[in-house]
Amino acid sequence: MIAERQEELAALGAVDLLSPAEQAELAAAAAADPAFAVLVASCRSTAAELAYSAPPVVPPTHLKTRILASLSTQTTPATARPARGTVIPFASWIGLAAAACFALAAAYFGQAFVTERAAVAALRDQQTLADLALRGATNQLEAERLISRRELAAASAKAAESSGLVAALESRLAEASLTAADSARQLVVSREQITSARRELTARDQRVSDLTRQLAAQGTLADYKIATLASLLGNSPQALAVAVWNPANQEGVLTVQKLPALAADKDYQLWVVDPQYPIPVDGGVFRVDPATGEARMNFRPNLPVKTVAKFAVSLERKGGVPKAEGPMVLIGP
Amino acid sequence: MSESGPTEQPDKRHAVDALLLKRVAAGDRAAFSELYDRFSKPLYSTAVRILSDTAEAQDVVHDAFVALWDKANTYESSRGTAFSWALTLTRNRAIDRLRSRRRRAELLENSAPSDLGLDENSSGLSADDSADTSDQAAAVRAAVDSLPPDQQSALKLAFFGGLTQEEIAARLSTPLGTIKARIRRGLLKLRERLAARQ
Repeated sequence: MIAERQEELAALGAVDLLSPAEQAELAAAAAADPAFAVLVASCRSTAAELAYSAPPVVPPTHLKTRILASLSTQTTPATARPARGTVIPFASWIGLAAAACFALAAAYFGQAFVTERAAVAALRDQQTLADLALRGATNQLEAERLISRRELAAASAKAAESSGLVAALESRLAEASLTAADSARQLVVSREQITSARRELTARDQRVSDLTRQLAAQGTLADYKIATLASLLGNSPQALAVAVWNPANQEGVLTVQKLPALAADKDYQLWVVDPQYPIPVDGGVFRVDPATGEARMNFRPNLPVKTVAKFAVSLERKGGVPKAEGPMVLIGP
Repeated sequence: MSESGPTEQPDKRHAVDALLLKRVAAGDRAAFSELYDRFSKPLYSTAVRILSDTAEAQDVVHDAFVALWDKANTYESSRGTAFSWALTLTRNRAIDRLRSRRRRAELLENSAPSDLGLDENSSGLSADDSADTSDQAAAVRAAVDSLPPDQQSALKLAFFGGLTQEEIAARLSTPLGTIKARIRRGLLKLRERLAARQ
């Protein structure tokens, strides 16, 4: 019974796929088992038949001529035996002697010829071996040359790549240096700008403080009183006045429009009505532009005012009076 | 040319081959010439198939027949047929050249052709060259074609590809053990089918 492993060895051996160790295993098994040896031979013969599965190609006729011509320069096969000589009978001893001499001479020259031919064949074999060795060495050199060329090309490429990398790094370093210099300059400028901004900020803080103080001193805008005074005059219904009163500073501004022009002995007089006083407080006298009827007057009542209930304007004698005597011309709000 | 004829049975063919080889071993040039006529076509076809180069194939066949002449006395019939012995002389030389060429090609970074064998449709050979009427060839092709495709491809790569077991496994993207099994099964089946026609 042949094991599967042996079949595998025989099959792989038939197509020359065995490693040296497997070849040794195959040879040993075949030597030990004749049946396996038959299988090995059979597999090899079967594998050889695969040659017929190749696309058939007829060899050129000159190939046979070439091969036969090569044979003419080859030694005969090792087992080739010369044809056995025919014994020639001799009629007399003279003939026998002559034949013996001839045979000896022929043997001598034949031996010399065979020896010489063997020597020539040996030399040819040596030459063939030398040619093979030379071819092998040439192939080896060619292989080494190709390997060296490829390695050289690879090294050159790597060197070129490295050079390019160094150049790129140097370029980037130069750019980085320029950028660093720009950054340093920008840093100086920025520091100056920061210093200037701090100074300005300090100045603005100072102004804010001043304004805050001023505002605190003047009071807030919400505390201001703005009053519109309407006309009480039948002949000048469009007459109008606006009074802005700052209670913190106890002062105000009066603006009037379209009031009738006055006679030389008359003045308009402003009154501030404060509930804490029994009569309105005098706010001062003013006259209007005769052409436009407009006037603007900064006023400061002659008594402290806590609460402004109303503003009023009356027509008085020139220079004003302590207590209103003439007709009211404007009042509000 | 007396190539083994369509009507010659395999056993008889092998016996005639062995007899001729024996005569060659004795220095018989006529026997050598006849053996050449019988063997040259399949041997040359195999060399062309392996090398895809007719000039190289001619060199290989030349060297193989010269070796056959020189070493005919070393042939042992117990180790296989005369034809298998002659084929070994030819195939080994062709594969040596193929591997040497591949090494050079690898060095030159030339990609190997995807098809290991000769492109049968563009071999550059004439139609007359490709004509084959041999029943032997037809029978072998029929037997090979009857194998499962995976066994066929493994066997052909092993026989014509000049690859190692590992290279065949890599080429077919198949585990090494599977490749070995395919070659074993394929070859044994081929043996049975070729024997059945005798």
